[in-house]
Amino acid sequence: MFQRMIDKSMAKSPWIFHINAGSCNGCDIELVSVLTPRYDAERLGFRLTGTPRQADIVVVSGPVTSQTKDRLVRTLAQVPEPRVVVSLGSCPRSGNVFKGSYCVDGPLEKYTHVDVSVGGCTPKPEAIMAALAKASEILAEKRKEMRQA
Amino acid sequence: MTTLLWTIFHVLVFPGLLFCVVVGLLLAGLDRKLVARMQNRVGPPLLQPWYDFLKCCGKETIIPRHARRGLFLAAPVLGFAALITAALFIPVFSYSVYSTSADLVVILYLLTVVGVSMIVGAAASGSPFAGVGLSREMVAMISYELPFVLVMLAVGRMAGVGTPLGVTFSLQAIVDWQAANGNLLFHWSMIPAALAMLFVIPCEIGMHPFDIAEAETEICEGTLAEYSGPPAGLFRLTHCVKMYVMCALFCVLFLGGISTGYAALDALVMVVLSVVLTFVTMSVPHAVCARFKVEQVFKFYWTVVAGLALISLILVWLGL
Amino acid sequence: MTFDFSNFINNFPILAIMSLFLGAFVSSLVGRRSAKVRNTVVFLSMLISLVLILALIKPVLLEGKIINYWLGNWEPVNGWAFGNSLEVDALSLFFALIVVVAVFVSGVYSFFYMSHDDSLVNYYTLFLMLSGSVLGLVLSGDLFNMFVMIEIMTFTAVALTAFRNHYEGALEGAFKYLVVGSLGSTSVLIGIALIYSQMHTLNLAQIAAMLPGYDSPVILIAFAFLFVGFGSKAFLFPFHPLAADAHAVAPASISLMISGVLTKCGVYGIIRLCYCLYQNMDQTFVQYFVTGIGVISMFVCVTMAFNQHNFKRLLAFHSISQVGYVITVIGLGSALGMSAGLFHAMNHTIFKGLLFLTAGAVQHATGSLDLDELGGLSKKMPGTCALFLIGAASISGLPPFNGFASKWMIYQATFQKAGETGNFFFVVVCVAALITSVLTLASFIKVAQSVFFGQLNLKFANTKEVSLGMRIPMWILAALCILPGLFPDKVQQWLLTPATQAAMNAPGYIDAAMGSGYAASFAIPAYQPQQIFLSGAWQPVMWLLLLISVTLAVCIVALLGGDEKATVTSEISADTDCDPKYDSFFSGEASVYSQVGGSDLFWGFKHNWRRYFSFMHDWHSGVVNDYTLYGTAAIAVALVLCVIFL
Repeated sequence: MFQRMIDKSMAKSPWIFHINAGSCNGCDIELVSVLTPRYDAERLGFRLTGTPRQADIVVVSGPVTSQTKDRLVRTLAQVPEPRVVVSLGSCPRSGNVFKGSYCVDGPLEKYTHVDVSVGGCTPKPEAIMAALAKASEILAEKRKEMRQA
Repeated sequence: MTTLLWTIFHVLVFPGLLFCVVVGLLLAGLDRKLVARMQNRVGPPLLQPWYDFLKCCGKETIIPRHARRGLFLAAPVLGFAALITAALFIPVFSYSVYSTSADLVVILYLLTVVGVSMIVGAAASGSPFAGVGLSREMVAMISYELPFVLVMLAVGRMAGVGTPLGVTFSLQAIVDWQAANGNLLFHWSMIPAALAMLFVIPCEIGMHPFDIAEAETEICEGTLAEYSGPPAGLFRLTHCVKMYVMCALFCVLFLGGISTGYAALDALVMVVLSVVLTFVTMSVPHAVCARFKVEQVFKFYWTVVAGLALISLILVWLGL
Repeated sequence: MTFDFSNFINNFPILAIMSLFLGAFVSSLVGRRSAKVRNTVVFLSMLISLVLILALIKPVLLEGKIINYWLGNWEPVNGWAFGNSLEVDALSLFFALIVVVAVFVSGVYSFFYMSHDDSLVNYYTLFLMLSGSVLGLVLSGDLFNMFVMIEIMTFTAVALTAFRNHYEGALEGAFKYLVVGSLGSTSVLIGIALIYSQMHTLNLAQIAAMLPGYDSPVILIAFAFLFVGFGSKAFLFPFHPLAADAHAVAPASISLMISGVLTKCGVYGIIRLCYCLYQNMDQTFVQYFVTGIGVISMFVCVTMAFNQHNFKRLLAFHSISQVGYVITVIGLGSALGMSAGLFHAMNHTIFKGLLFLTAGAVQHATGSLDLDELGGLSKKMPGTCALFLIGAASISGLPPFNGFASKWMIYQATFQKAGETGNFFFVVVCVAALITSVLTLASFIKVAQSVFFGQLNLKFANTKEVSLGMRIPMWILAALCILPGLFPDKVQQWLLTPATQAAMNAPGYIDAAMGSGYAASFAIPAYQPQQIFLSGAWQPVMWLLLLISVTLAVCIVALLGGDEKATVTSEISADTDCDPKYDSFFSGEASVYSQVGGSDLFWGFKHNWRRYFSFMHDWHSGVVNDYTLYGTAAIAVALVLCVIFL
């Protein structure tokens, strides 16, 4: 019973850790706007956390520059299971306008499995909300898989 | 046999584990909801802290390489247990389980043990962020301890003035005194002390304007930086239960005389009063203030709050 | 002729003292040949004195007998004591117990701790002389004998402070101790001379009988001199900088002796002076004076400890701070205060001894005491870390350790005194005591974080845990930290109440030495045993049982609900050494050595107090001239105050 309660609450309390992998700050501001009174992601239980150790959803923005690559990989490794990775904006997906630059080592797929990807430069808050909701569903599924494995 | 069963009941159900946890989670949920409403948001569901705790239980526990394994895992359990033990000794108005040993100094120290267990856990995690966090937690502790002590002495003197020793630290005696002479909150000389105690509550708990130790935007959750999974959940739960324990302590110290005579009804009154106190002392400052700096917290508590408590103490001492 | 045990027992005190002095003599004779023989001699002499003192517990503490031993059988004639005597009442025995236990632990620890040093014969000779002199001091029934013992004690302690003279500052510390310590000894000597000139006797009991009725400004001056002299032996304010300099450089076993035993001699001297000789503890001025000195020592030293970078210097300041607690409550003049003070004096020896020994272990293993440099030793020295945490919790007064039990009595005593007299001064004292306790806690959090937790400095990667021989004495002290904390009522019943009653019972002390009725002939009122009231209840066993049961309840609930598969607790294996998953989170940076240094902690507190700290920094100049000046000023102030108010 306790396990089923945990399963249920998994989707209801996803905590977000945000990594900026060389983003222009556009997506980052939009992510914060999701938490403002207008959109209020907290009503779905989302909460920004300060440390990857307590994160469930890792949101990565930016094209993964060579400077941030190591830090990104290390921080991703420090997130406990089960975890979901969300790529925010076009940059981590394709490199966007930075594609081909000498200092860009993207895309994000090269380093980790991306569960949810939101396109756009920058994506609308509504899209981010939808992506986070999707991510929390995936989180609950992952938890079930882990338990059955 | 019945005594043993009663003890188990007291420890596990009321006023111990279950009651504290349920009320604590309820208060934390209400606090988040209230803050959200004050900021014109919908806010999370009332059971959100409960979901948070359950979710933490379902996560992996990572023990960092620099951590001291045993202490790292034992610290949250010890802190939580010390807090529940303190709660057992706080009478629910006239209903007190262990009346003879209810002593204010001991409760003060048990609450310190809760803080220290968090500090030790943070130190054992080996993280530099936790190092900064525990230093801040300690400064916060120094800050609120002075006014807390002054309030304690004022109450002890007020309630103990008729006794042969001229002072009492027994919570039961304080409650009895209030039942006979009216609540301390409504004695005008105690009003500054009550105000000071209202300020002590959020800092003791580490609520938002005073959450310097866990400043997630500055020092990555500070003391909790390396905690993941169930231990992190237990720390969060301790935080919630502390909200109830501190509110209950305020009720006993300043509103101890309003007993109805029925334990269940008393508990209900206690919960309602705790909700009101949560709103006044935690939700409103949370919604209104930005986080204080470390040295501001210290200065504020040692000047304004300690000053308020000192006024009461001097007034009480002069027999007013 | 039948063997009379009760008479034979009268010889135990002198035998206990002689065993230590003889041990010093014999070990220096035979010690150069073989280390084994020397250690055996040292061990035996410590053991004999320990056993002899322990054997006195039953007659003296439990049955209330006062042992009087006249050296050479020079018993008093016609009410005049000519001979030299040992007089052991419950108070003396209480302190003697502290002394012999501390000596024994420190000696056993030395066998392993000092094993790498040379000229150990000198060390053990001095060590045993120091031990013998402190034991002689607390058992003595003669004022001048006390002075002789103080002199031996001071000079052996100076020599032992400088024993590791290759340490930076060792000679400097010893020199300061020598100069300022001599100032204190001289002050005692002047006091004794003044008393002798008036009373024409040196026997404590006889002086105690004659003094209270004697009206002369000379004895007031003598009081000031003796008080400052004994105070300087307890390193009370303003003699405290001395202790810090001496402790930081002395071997850890000697730090234990200085902080745990020598300071207690000062405390013992002050108790005898105020309660027995002058019996003026009921005067408000004396209460203010003693308590005031205690509070100042307590508070100034704990704030000074905040700024220290050296492990043992920090402990040294705390040591004076804790002695400040003892003096504070002794100054209250109430039975509860006395018993709280004695309890704390005993506990201070135990937990501070433990802390000094852990500091010694850290130094032994790493060669460093620098709080900014050390870190992460808990993985390398888990046993020492656990012992340190016990000691730190005790000194910070966390339940259920012994420090809490005694501090709790201290708060009760001060606030009761305030309640009885209606005097606001004692409320301030109570608040200061509580705040000092929090600051002590903060200070030990700093040590724990910067020595045992955090990240390991690569310099100390090869550190090994210290040997079992060093850990066993520490475990003994740790056990002594826990037991009195769990059973304070038993300690109260067996040790504190007899010692308290003996301390307050001046006529009993006089009559035991000079024959019954002697005190009454000097119009000293008979002693009414005082009740020790506690205004609250502290039942540690009950609290502990509840704490354990709650912990068990939490664990059971967690186990019932938990699922092993989902909540994987990651085991650390060999291949995780480079897995970034187990690195400390450092904003994604590689895990480099990033320990938060001890001096960087508590910024918010220090910032608000920066003026006070900078003033204190200038005041503790480290110049021996200044310290002598402070000492002289202390004598002058005490003289003026005593002459005006007493």
